[in-house]
Amino acid sequence: MALLEVSHIEKHFGQTKVLSDISFSLDQGQSLAIIGSSGSGKTTLLRCLNFLETPTSGTISVGGAVIFDAAQPAAQREEELRQKRLHFGLVFQSFNLFPQYTALQNVTLALHLRDEKGARREEIDRAGMELLEKMGLADRAAHYPHQLSGGQQQRVAIARALALKPDVLCFDEPTSALDPELTGEVLKVIRALGQQHTTMIIVTHEMAFARDVADQVIFMDGGVIVEQGPAREVIEAPREERTRQFLAHYAET
Amino acid sequence: MEMFLTVLGALNVGFVQTLKLFVTTLLGALPLGLVISFGSMSSFKPLRCLTRFFVWVIRGTPLMLQLIVIYYGPGTITGRSPWPAGEAGRFLAAAIMFIINYSCYFSEIYRGGIQSVPVGQQEAGLVLGLTRRQIFFKVTLLQMVKRIVPPMSNEIITLVKDTSLARIISFQEVIWAGQAFMKTSHGYSGLVWPLFFTGIYYLIFSGLMTLLLGALEKKLDYFR
Ligand SMILES: Nc1ncnc2c1ncn2[C@@H]1O[C@H](COP(=O)(O)OP(=O)(O)OP(=O)(O)O)[C@@H](O)[C@H]1O
Ligand SMILES: [Mg+2]
Repeated sequence: MALLEVSHIEKHFGQTKVLSDISFSLDQGQSLAIIGSSGSGKTTLLRCLNFLETPTSGTISVGGAVIFDAAQPAAQREEELRQKRLHFGLVFQSFNLFPQYTALQNVTLALHLRDEKGARREEIDRAGMELLEKMGLADRAAHYPHQLSGGQQQRVAIARALALKPDVLCFDEPTSALDPELTGEVLKVIRALGQQHTTMIIVTHEMAFARDVADQVIFMDGGVIVEQGPAREVIEAPREERTRQFLAHYAET
Repeated sequence: MEMFLTVLGALNVGFVQTLKLFVTTLLGALPLGLVISFGSMSSFKPLRCLTRFFVWVIRGTPLMLQLIVIYYGPGTITGRSPWPAGEAGRFLAAAIMFIINYSCYFSEIYRGGIQSVPVGQQEAGLVLGLTRRQIFFKVTLLQMVKRIVPPMSNEIITLVKDTSLARIISFQEVIWAGQAFMKTSHGYSGLVWPLFFTGIYYLIFSGLMTLLLGALEKKLDYFR
């Protein structure tokens, strides 16, 4: 059974329909890449999964339990969404690290805030350090974000998201704010997560990366899913004309 | 020498009044400014418009005029002044007007500070499952404080000097005390230098405030 089941998600901003009839599922340990041109709704979809936006209609289930149903506004209260949100993690395009906290404090802040009595303080710090080590940043734990390169900041952001052990980790163009020579180190970390069977959804413009790392690929255009299937098939032998055009356009640049 | 000590004593008395007005204004205007800034950012349009109109009126007219209006205005209209007699009434009127005036200036600084913290900070907090309260206190607040310290320092230094405006309603602050020697005060007449000497008080005090606020700014220098 699929870990994540998204059915018939639709999102309107006022009169504009930005997502329509988005349905897909994702198995435990699999990764899904979402590709598509600018404005096709990729970011909006990730924001819906993390409840930064509320879908206008549709349902989201995790592990067989419906965690969101647009038809039941009663279940969408702030406090409930806050709990349900924790099924997902999100890594932002622009990192959004907290500038006043060190790398380690960024990773552990949420856990410390939940550990009200401070009983698990050392355990949390140790887990945070382990995550930073995994990201190759053990020697940067005490640095503040402005003392880190973009690639390092994004790796801290990944560690911060992992610290909460989300069921599904989402990435929104994790490398597009980086200088080309820094994308490699971030992609490497995500690749390693894939090998360890982290369930992931990655919005990306790196086609080769999507092909090599993702199990599934979704191509979106104009707010709908045009094509979805195994990564290699969609990227190397797309069935839809629109997908072909998009990929051809990418090959040129 | 004896004259000097006498003058100093009189000026000290005046300066204590200056300080009283300064501290009272800060204590009132720092929190009230936050309330007004929330009003001016309210999603409820009538409240937002009303707040911004009020801020425009207060910032758009001289504080000296506002002091005259609040102190003499009600009495002129109703024929009976609502203020307690003497120095207590003058202090009360001045303090209220200073608090209103300065909270309007502060509110704009707060608004700028709050709005300059990127939404991404709040969203990152939400995604980590923090409550709105935790996001405000643990994520946004310090970034906002960092951004408002420099403009706030400016306003606070201005306030140090603006307290002298209360003299217009005969509040007996340090300049009033200095000027009194030009006529007759404490047995001396026709002294001009005590008035000039009050400048030293302002210089020392604003110097102290500059150091204090500079230290705060420095303390927040560890992040960007
Ligand atoms: N808050 C909003 N209000 C109104 N329209 C919005 C809002 N957010 C996004 N949109 C619109 O929704 C559409 C999809 O935007 P989205 O950011 O999801 O695209 P995207 O696929 O992530 O694009 P990109 O590759 O440029 O990041 C765009 O047309 C955008 O203008
Ligand atoms: Mg986007």
